This record gives sequence, C-alpha cells and structure tokens, in this order.
Amino acid sequence: MDGIHDLGGRQGFGPVAVDEPEEQFHEPWEARVRGMVNAMSRAADWNIDWFRHCRELIEPVDYLSRPYFDQWIQSYAAMMVNSGLASVEELASGKAAAPAAGLRPPMSAEQARRTSLGARRFDAPANTAPRFAPGDGVRTLAHGIATHTRLPGYARGRHGRIERHHGAHVLPDANALGEKRHEHLYTVAFDAAALWPEAHGRRDQVLLNLWERYLAPA
Amino acid sequence: MTAHDSDTIAAIHRELHSHLPSEPALRARALESLLVDKGMVDPAAVDAWVERYAEDIGPRNGARVIARAWVDADFRRRLLEDAAKAIKELGYEHDHLIAVQNTPQVHNLVCCTLCSCYPNALLGMPPSWYKMAAYRARAVRDPRGVLAEFGVELDADVDIRVWDSTAELRFIVIPERPAGTEDWDEQRLAELVPRNAMIGTARDLSPRAAGDP
Repeated sequence: MDGIHDLGGRQGFGPVAVDEPEEQFHEPWEARVRGMVNAMSRAADWNIDWFRHCRELIEPVDYLSRPYFDQWIQSYAAMMVNSGLASVEELASGKAAAPAAGLRPPMSAEQARRTSLGARRFDAPANTAPRFAPGDGVRTLAHGIATHTRLPGYARGRHGRIERHHGAHVLPDANALGEKRHEHLYTVAFDAAALWPEAHGRRDQVLLNLWERYLAPA
Repeated sequence: MTAHDSDTIAAIHRELHSHLPSEPALRARALESLLVDKGMVDPAAVDAWVERYAEDIGPRNGARVIARAWVDADFRRRLLEDAAKAIKELGYEHDHLIAVQNTPQVHNLVCCTLCSCYPNALLGMPPSWYKMAAYRARAVRDPRGVLAEFGVELDADVDIRVWDSTAELRFIVIPERPAGTEDWDEQRLAELVPRNAMIGTARDLSPRAAGDP
C-alpha cells in the first residue's frame, strides 16, 4: 500500500539520532510490551505480515511521531478489536468485560525460558521452477500494490540484477490477507544510479529481497 | 475468524486514538492488565522474557559469531555460505540469516525501509534510530551522509552495498578484523565488536579507534 511506512528515499528528514545508549529498551514499559507480544495467546489467523499491515495502517501522524513499541500497542489493540478478542472500552480501561474465547492458553514462564526466537521457518519446497537465475536482468513492477506488499515505492519500475535465489518463501502480500502461499524469493541488486537522480556516477548498490511476482525479465 | 480488511483496521486505529490512555506507559499497563484479565497473558511469562532480553538475547551473541569468523577461516566460509546453519555451531538459532562481509573495497550497511526487520533472534532489539524515519528514509539514498553522522568516513573508492531488509531473511555484517589484534583470543576479540558494526554503522574497530590509549 502507498502508506506513510514506505519511507525509503523520502527527503526532508534530518540527522539520525546516533547518540543512543546500547541497551535494548530505554523504558521499562518497552520491555514489558516486547515480552507481552512474545507471550500472548493470539488468534490462529494472525501472522507477521498481518501485524505489519496493521502497523502500516496507523494514522500517518501517529506513525511518524509515536514511539516504536507504542505502535506495537496500537497495532495489537486494533488486531484484538478486529478479531473480536476485545472491545475499545476494554482496551481503554484495562479491564475485561468477558474472557477471550477460543484461544489456546498463553505461554507459561517455563515455555518463555525455553522458546527459541530464531526457530521460525518461512521457506517451503517450491512447486514451480524459478523464473530467474543469478545474473539475470529484471525490471520491477511499475505500479504499486494497494494492499500489503514488500516492494518499496523507491524500487518500483527499476532495472536490477538477480544476485541470489533463495527458494520459495511465504509471500507477504498473500499472508497479510490471511492466505498462505509460497513464491520464489531473490536478492536483487540495483545500482544507486538506477534509483536516485542525484546518484549518477556512484557505484554504490542497494539490494533487496523480492518475490517473483514483483519482477519481469529485462 | 479475522477479516483481513485494511479499511476496517484504519477505522479501528482512529477510534482507539481517541480512547486509549494518554501516555505510552499507561497504554502498555492497560494492555497488560487486560491481557492478563482475559487469560491471554501469563505475567510470569512476560517477566521471563524481560529477563531473557536482559541476560541472554542481545548483540553480544552476534559479536561472538564475528569473533569466531575472524579466527577461523573455515567457519567464516560456512557463515558466508549459510549463516543460519553456521551459527548453530555456536549454539545460536536464526533460521533465515545472511552474513555479508566488509573488505577494504566494500562497506555493507543494513536497514529496513518498510518497517524494522532486523536479526532479532541473534542481535536482540534494533536500536531506536534503526526504527525511526530519518534512518529508514536516508540509508538507501544517502548512505555516505548517514555513515558520516555515525563517524564513519569512507574513502571515495570504497563501494557501499545497502541491504534493505524486505523479507524474513535478515542480514548481519562481518566487519574487518582490526590490525594489531593478531594475538588476541576469541573472547577478547568479541569485546571489540559493537552492535553498530554488525549493522554497518561502525567500520574501524581498531582498539585505538575505540578510545583505548
């Protein structure tokens, strides 16, 4: 979607706030939110791409101004309301009028200590042959996709080169709509000069992982 | 059954905006108390996660991987070939991971323009600046300018490769091993690797550059 989240290449932003302590959370509530999200029971048809799409849909002024973990609160609150797990009134008061029905019990402390965050597979055996191979020239879709997608605006309609093929991975565009599909995923390298008008003559590259449907032969 | 409908979510966001408590810390407290009340969260599990982030999930793990790659050329080759598999040798798990290496001619920089994708399972939470608009907007377009703000001045003949994390495959940068550390052991080397070096916003890790006499 052409949302406020699609920030790559947008101009007018000032310097990066580089002087930040290395600790992972700067406020206790941030660590609580991270822990809650790891530990909560969730609707069976939620997934990472649905969450990302719900975050993209936060009102633009809030998206740019609210702290990161506050945006998680906002997104999970919206997802709960949308899936019938809580009402706006319950979220405002912090008190349940009714229990959430039909969910698996939440993670226990023991499970939290044993769960590996890195054990999450998004790949699957491909049932089609890959359309591209490393070295192939490609052109990305010129138009956007009105719902969730991972082709950023700045890389639309651009020439690049396939650098690596990764096999089939869960397609975020479909996953965000509640549909599990796998499609070939490639690392595509773009010359900076193919992306930005002021980059003429620069040899720098930008590399993205893009699904096959975003690409056409060039 | 969840309706995956964009307009519905946008409308809910607007409604929540005017109803939720005014401060983030209060919103977090209301959410936790509701989740507990609903039986959707066990607060002891939240405590356990908070403890794990404080103690065993974080950039130190990535630094150990880098130090191993510096002292063991075969491990470095395996890491570049299949990082997810190689880090298991050190007891870490990150199912989709790509390692990219800096050389005297190439500098790698990682970002996520669309959200905040990062190798969380290995490096913990990304820094705030990584998730904020300025870095997300500028890293792909003005990497040299961004790097200069981090104190990294690259010679004109060093090429930059910016990795925009659009998929579940996440990136870790293998910085160059600094000169003068030839006789250092792995543990001491790991202490030289700050989080930013694995994102690409730090480059020269020589002990002198780090502020030692």
